[in-house]
Amino acid sequence: MSFFKESVFSDEYASRNGFLQSLDPRIKTATFLLFLIQILFTKNIFILLCLYAVSILLTCFSKIRLGFFLKRTWVFIPLFSLFIAIPALFSIVTPGEPLTTLKIAGIALTITRQGLSGATLFVMRVITSVSFVVLLSITTKHFELLRVLRIFRIPQVFVMTLGMCYRYIFLFVEILENTHLAVKSRVGTRIHHKRGRRIVASNIASLWQRSYQLNEDVYRAMLSRGYNGEPLILNQFKTGLRDYLWLLCALTIFITIR
Amino acid sequence: MNNLIFELKNVHFSYLGKFPALSGVDISIQQGEKITVIGANGSGKSTLLHMLDGLIFPDRGTMKAFGEEIKESVFNDENFSRNFRKKVGLVFQNPDVQLFCPTAKEDIIFGPLQLGMEREEIEKRLEELTGTLNLRNLLDRPPHQLSVGEKRKVALASTLIINPDILLLDEPTAGLDPLTTRHIIDLLIQANNSGKTIITSTHDLHIVEEISDVVYVFGQGKTIVKSGKPEEILGDDRLLHDHNLIHIHSHRHKNKTHIHPHSHLHHHIET
Repeated sequence: MSFFKESVFSDEYASRNGFLQSLDPRIKTATFLLFLIQILFTKNIFILLCLYAVSILLTCFSKIRLGFFLKRTWVFIPLFSLFIAIPALFSIVTPGEPLTTLKIAGIALTITRQGLSGATLFVMRVITSVSFVVLLSITTKHFELLRVLRIFRIPQVFVMTLGMCYRYIFLFVEILENTHLAVKSRVGTRIHHKRGRRIVASNIASLWQRSYQLNEDVYRAMLSRGYNGEPLILNQFKTGLRDYLWLLCALTIFITIR
Repeated sequence: MNNLIFELKNVHFSYLGKFPALSGVDISIQQGEKITVIGANGSGKSTLLHMLDGLIFPDRGTMKAFGEEIKESVFNDENFSRNFRKKVGLVFQNPDVQLFCPTAKEDIIFGPLQLGMEREEIEKRLEELTGTLNLRNLLDRPPHQLSVGEKRKVALASTLIINPDILLLDEPTAGLDPLTTRHIIDLLIQANNSGKTIITSTHDLHIVEEISDVVYVFGQGKTIVKSGKPEEILGDDRLLHDHNLIHIHSHRHKNKTHIHPHSHLHHHIET
């Protein structure tokens, strides 16, 4: 639970005084999108390596511990890409020029040059995109990321609902945590699975009831302060020279290695 | 009377049509008064405040605000609704309900933005309020990172920034430390001195005398059992005891154990 809370709700890195943290979130998101498009369409491993290097450099300039960043990005790689990439190495999936042959349980498996190159390209693409996405999410406060959605013309009511979901998920996580502790303090750690299921079911029901009640109360609190179906917010983004320089820099990279 | 702002006559209300919350409430409130509503849990105090804020409406009986009868349909008129929301502000009992935006600052400015206040004016009021309530360091923090006291102060700020003529407060000092409680009471007294009507629901009898011209006591029958001046109500131990507002209290003074009803009006002088 604490890992979940830390990874989802922590704004520790976003509050630091680093390069990416100082940029206008709109410019930062737009330039990162450019990088992601480039990563998606390039077939050149060298370009991917260059972009990966850019993400590492940005990490260093943004006062993020490199060890933390690498752990956070590489942990997802085996899950999402290695399982897909490994079969593509072999001639069964990717026929082509043989590089080497492995014998596993009497079955000969040939790794092909095309297979190796395809798998490397795929893994590099995943790691580079994950790096940029993680970098964006840890250097931007969650509420700023939500506000950025407005630049894509997503209706304010939708953005606000997302914000409220994020806000109240935390409250429910706390309720769940406390309920879990309350149950544990009364029944101990070992309970029969049937009873356990019953407790979980009643918790789900009670949480649903609480969320329903909260939904009504929050709506009243909104009405009380003049809400009439069209939420208004104050645009507080500020764009400075540093943002324009970064935009220029990102555009140059985008055009040069296209 | 010209300065009558709220007038409730024989008001009944029930949740889902079967759980009574108000049963025959009569109350008249004038501009600039300090009103306190006291009563045990579940006696209908919060329901009354929600009704005065135009969030729920009587099942039976009549409620008038500013001389006009209040029904759900009158809020369909955008002008009326906007004016009413500008004039009446409610601080909810649970600050988590009131703080639904991603940051404290957005929560505070939500009201004035919806009510069409000029942006410069909003910034000006925000600056003043954050200074008064000492909230500057909290503005960019998400509500879930605030303590209960901080949440209460932000919730109070989110209502005060609208600068309503009538301030409804549902247990504003519940769970607060003594210093923050004092701060909030001072703010309320200051608001009342500047002409605002203050209507507070509370269990905290320590604060009643300071923030009341009239006290209404709600009973378990979901209606007002007595009203009067604070000294009259707080001096009536039988009434307070019958409605779960005091209990027998035992403590020591100068090496002597001292037992008396836990009342809040000069008990040490009288006993």
